[in-house]
Amino acid sequence: MGFNPLDPLLHSQLRLAIMSLLISVESADFVYIKEQTSSTAGNLSVQIDKLSTAGYIEVTKQFVGKKPKTTCKITAVGVSAFEQYVKTIQQYLKA
Amino acid sequence: MEEKQISPEESIKLIQSMIGKARQRYTDNSIFLLLWGWIVLIASLSHYYLAVHTDFEQPYIVWSLTFVGVIASMIIGAKKGKQKIVSNYTDKLYGWLWLSLGIAMFTVIFNGNLVNWNTTPFILLFAGVGTALSGVMMNFKPLKFGAICFWVLAMIAFRQDENTQMLLLAIGIALGYLLPGYIMKANSKKHGV
Repeated sequence: MGFNPLDPLLHSQLRLAIMSLLISVESADFVYIKEQTSSTAGNLSVQIDKLSTAGYIEVTKQFVGKKPKTTCKITAVGVSAFEQYVKTIQQYLKA
Repeated sequence: MEEKQISPEESIKLIQSMIGKARQRYTDNSIFLLLWGWIVLIASLSHYYLAVHTDFEQPYIVWSLTFVGVIASMIIGAKKGKQKIVSNYTDKLYGWLWLSLGIAMFTVIFNGNLVNWNTTPFILLFAGVGTALSGVMMNFKPLKFGAICFWVLAMIAFRQDENTQMLLLAIGIALGYLLPGYIMKANSKKHGV
């Protein structure tokens, strides 16, 4: 039996870390994700854009006072992609 | 963290570690326990004193203090919401639990004349439900202990007159809100929140 291919969008360290964090919470601020993943703002921003373009996460940008606030939330598409990714990984590990 | 390809083993480890990090966040809600703890303690003891030791005819007037509590809770809640950098399901559930119990308590008090002003035992029961579930959600034993105190006192309160019920409420609030509230505050300092 052949393996299902791993979702290339999730099979990357930082994007997988972002998705794993977001699956555990209702929503999270850019600052929180940056803190927890120990990533740089530039790299994180690029990866968030990729996940958002794929429809895996929803990004809301607003201003709180004068400060910009970016909030990320996992979508239903993102949840099923993540679940599928975990299932596939488990197949690889069982082999 | 770099953007690089990883092995399946590394993937699983990464997922586990990130989910663990999201769960670890310690939520300090002690401010609400302390705020309401002091308001109810002052109001119940004042009610008891005015009713038993003075000729004052409207001792229940001291409960107007709860309006200050509602406004202060709304301001603190809004401020916390703005500062919050992550919104988890436990916090959301916690907020809805206490809002629902607040509505239940208000309903009982609003219709107090229909139950001969025997409202305190119900308030103690509701407070017990709130502290028990909050204790379970936060895995915080002092709140679970507080819930047991509330329920035991509710059992006793059903058999006492209105003024003695005020004393039982004061004891309940000291053990069920203030004590866990101060322990939670001390713990959150330890966690560096």
